Amino acid sequence: MLARMEISVEMLKRTAALAGFDWSEAELEPIRPAVENLLEALARLEQVPLGDIEPTTQYRVI
Amino acid sequence: MADLGRMIATKQVSPIEVVRAHLDRIAALDGTLRAFITVCADAALEAARAAESELMAGRPVGPLHGVPWAPKDLYSTKGVRTTGGSKILADSVPAADATVVARLARAGAIVLGKLNMHEFAYGPEGINAHYGDTRNPWSTDAHRIAGGSSSGSGAAVAAGLVPGSLGSDTGGSIRIPASLCGITGLKPTYGRASRTGVLPLAWSMDHVGPMTRSARDCALMLAAIAGYDPADPTTSVLPVPDYGAALTGEVKGLRVGLLRAHFTDVATPEVKAAIEAAAKKLEGAGAVVDEVNLKEVVHVATASTAIVAAEALAYHAAWMRSRPQDYQADVRERLRLGAFVTGAHYVRSQQVRALLTREVDEVLARRDVLLAPATPLAAPVLGERETALGDGASAVRAALLRCARPFNFSGHPACAAPCGFTAGGLPIGLQVVGRPFDEATVLRVVDAYQRMTDWHTRRPVA
Repeated sequence: MLARMEISVEMLKRTAALAGFDWSEAELEPIRPAVENLLEALARLEQVPLGDIEPTTQYRVI
Repeated sequence: MADLGRMIATKQVSPIEVVRAHLDRIAALDGTLRAFITVCADAALEAARAAESELMAGRPVGPLHGVPWAPKDLYSTKGVRTTGGSKILADSVPAADATVVARLARAGAIVLGKLNMHEFAYGPEGINAHYGDTRNPWSTDAHRIAGGSSSGSGAAVAAGLVPGSLGSDTGGSIRIPASLCGITGLKPTYGRASRTGVLPLAWSMDHVGPMTRSARDCALMLAAIAGYDPADPTTSVLPVPDYGAALTGEVKGLRVGLLRAHFTDVATPEVKAAIEAAAKKLEGAGAVVDEVNLKEVVHVATASTAIVAAEALAYHAAWMRSRPQDYQADVRERLRLGAFVTGAHYVRSQQVRALLTREVDEVLARRDVLLAPATPLAAPVLGERETALGDGASAVRAALLRCARPFNFSGHPACAAPCGFTAGGLPIGLQVVGRPFDEATVLRVVDAYQRMTDWHTRRPVA
C-alpha cells in the first residue's frame, strides 16, 4: 500500500508554472483532490509488471 | 437510412419531402431536446432539390442519395461553423469538409445541421454550458442526460430528428449516448476511418463512426466513410469489405465471449439481466457463448485518464493560457489535470495500453466477438454525481466510461445497440466487440440480434 500522497496547492502552482501555465491558487484548489488521486493511481501503475512490453506507438495501421 | 435511400431511389418519396419532414420535426422538438447547435435548413433544401433533379434526370444514384444526416459539431463542414461545442470556436467556419463528411456528400447524403456535444468532446455526460444541455428523449420530463460526448447525435437519432449521424469516440462518446438513447452506434477499429478535419480530443484514442437506428444503417454509413485517407497517416490501407453483404442474419457457430468481471457483473441488476438475456438470445440462434474476464482492464481508467489528459492539454495549451475562462468549468478542470502528467507517466500508460491490447487480442483469438454492457447503467438524471454499481458507489462519469473506454484503449471495433428497457422506460445498451478491422462480424452479430428483437425499432414518445 502506497502512502497517501499530499500535494499542496503551492506545489500545483509551481508545477503548472513550469509547464507554462499561470494558474492561480484559487483556480487550482478545486482540482487538487483529482490530481492527488491521479498521481496515486499512476504510482500504482508503476507496480504493474510490464516486462519488456513496449509502449503503444502504432495503432494497427496496416 | 437504408429504407429512406431505397424509397428515394425508387421515387416513392422525394428527397425534398424527406428533408422538409425532418426540418419540421427539428422545429417542433429541438427547443426541448437541444440536439442541434446549427440547423442548415436552406442549404439542405437546396441540396435536396439538386438530389431530386439528378434522380429525375435518370442519373445512377447510390443508397444514400438524398438521405439526410447530421454530424457532431466537431466535423469540419465547408462554409458552416464548426464550434466543437465551444465558445472559443463559436465563429469558426472551416474552408473544407472533413474527409468523411466529403465522402458522405459524394455518396449523396445531405447535411441537415450540426449536432450538440460535450464541449470539445471532453465528457461522457453530454452537457454544454454554451449551447444548452442535450436532453434524453426517453426522459418524459426531459431531465435525464443523453450521454456524451456525442449527445446531440444520440438524442437527434433517437427522436427522429435525423436518421443518422457521425459521432466521435475517445472513451465511449459514440457508444455511451447510443446506449442511453436506445440507438445503434459503431466505433470502428482505430485506423478504419479518417479523422482529418475532425477536432481532436486525444489523437491516439479518437475514433469516428456512425450513429443510426440499426446495424444495417451503420453498415451503410461505414461503407461510405471507411478506408485509407492520405491526409490521415493513421488510416489503414486494408481494403474496405462489403459490410452490407456481411449482414447474413446468421450467427450459428460464432464464438461469443460474455465479459463478466468489470463489465456485466458490475452493471445495475436491470442492465445485467438484459445483457445476459441478449447472450442467451444469441446462444439460442446457434452462437457458442462462454464467459471471459480481462485481467488487465483494472488499469484502464488510470492509464487512459493520463493519456487523454496529456494529449488534450497539448492540443488546448494555447487557449488554456490565453482564455481559460471561456471553457465550461468541468472541461477546464479536466484539461488542467494534463499539466501534472509527466512524460514518464504517459509512456508508462502507453505500455499498460499495449498490455491490455495484447490481452484482448488473445481473448479474441479464440472467439469471434465479446459481449458487454455499453454502459452499466441507464441514463442518469442531469447533475447526478454519484451512482451505485455492483461493486459499490461510483462517480457517474466513471460509471459511464467504464465498459466503453477499454476498447478505445485497445483500438478494437465496438458497437452499442439497444437490448432492453428499464422498468422506468429507459433504454439499455449492449456492446459487441470484435477483432481489429472485423467490423463486418460485429455488425453481423448486432444485425442478427436486431432481426430477432424489436428493441431498436422502439421510439420515444414525442
